[in-house]
Amino acid sequence: MMQAEEIMTKDVMTIRGSATVAEAVTFMKENGLRALVVEPRSETDPYGMVTETDIVYKVAAFGHDPKKMRVYEIMTKPCVVVNPELGVEYVARLFAQTRIRRAPVVKGGLLGIISVSDILRKSDFVEKPKSNFELYWEENPSAPSARMYD
Amino acid sequence: MMQAEEIMTRNVVTIRGSATVADAVKLMKDKQLRGLVVEPRHDQDPFGIVTEADIVYKVAAFGHDPKAMRVYEIMVKPCVVVNPELGVEYVARLFAQTNIRRAPVIQGKTLLGIISVGDILFKSDFVEKPKQFFIEDEIEVAREDARAICAAQGGTSPECAAAWDVVEELQAEAAHQRVKKQGLNSLQVYCEANPDDLECRIYDD
Repeated sequence: MMQAEEIMTKDVMTIRGSATVAEAVTFMKENGLRALVVEPRSETDPYGMVTETDIVYKVAAFGHDPKKMRVYEIMTKPCVVVNPELGVEYVARLFAQTRIRRAPVVKGGLLGIISVSDILRKSDFVEKPKSNFELYWEENPSAPSARMYD
Repeated sequence: MMQAEEIMTRNVVTIRGSATVADAVKLMKDKQLRGLVVEPRHDQDPFGIVTEADIVYKVAAFGHDPKAMRVYEIMVKPCVVVNPELGVEYVARLFAQTNIRRAPVIQGKTLLGIISVGDILFKSDFVEKPKQFFIEDEIEVAREDARAICAAQGGTSPECAAAWDVVEELQAEAAHQRVKKQGLNSLQVYCEANPDDLECRIYDD
């Protein structure tokens, strides 16, 4: 099974929660990004995220002035984070169950960001679809029901 | 207010509902798209849409074989469609209220393009020119409030004056927004052509 770190986008940028939404938009436009990771404020602080959807749903949709609103008012924090070793099918399942479209990949520090686009474009789910049974078998290769007789 | 057709993506690709999900994935990869429009099958049939999230949530997440699944099993049809004249802020409001991220732009029965949260973020002017929604409604409410306060507290009370200040501020903002839409007046046009003319000098202090 492919792992999150194989298909994640390593080009990830962070922003402070105290930045204005206008700054976030400029930053996203300049770098062609759909989401920014919000840096933790301390070692015990969780990661956060602000996406294009947050900005459109919570700022543009209400005609609020992005220059007067701050990232911390619209960000998702704490956000769901993914381990680099997590299998791509499990990332897809996690995204479906939590109704999210992207998440930071974290281990020790921020390694990248993984999105539904990465899964669609870079993973091998079309060529090698994994059934529940195959997922179970990969996890538990010694289970009796998982023994394969070639 | 900018309109949907000004910021929509005109490069829109359609797919049949009977195509396999693997075909849809290939098309999205080749054309670098995040959503495909599902063609109506006849005149009365509505438009549909299939997005990358549909494919990841309903196929990849369950390990289903994309070659054995069809677009009609995972598409959203009928889907929300947008008129080309709809203001961008209203598109944003519609998306937030229906919890969607993209929609086909349709005029009559013709598909003109597709508009997404990305288009709104990257191409619209909501940062430079945020629009207060329903400002006329707000003015009406503020005016009613002011009348009620003045009737209760007396026409010379400070509360009454403050309430009318609120109305005045809203009206000034509304007028400001209306002016922004009109563009340049004739003096401004003249001064752009002749910036050094006596009439066009601007004194900053």
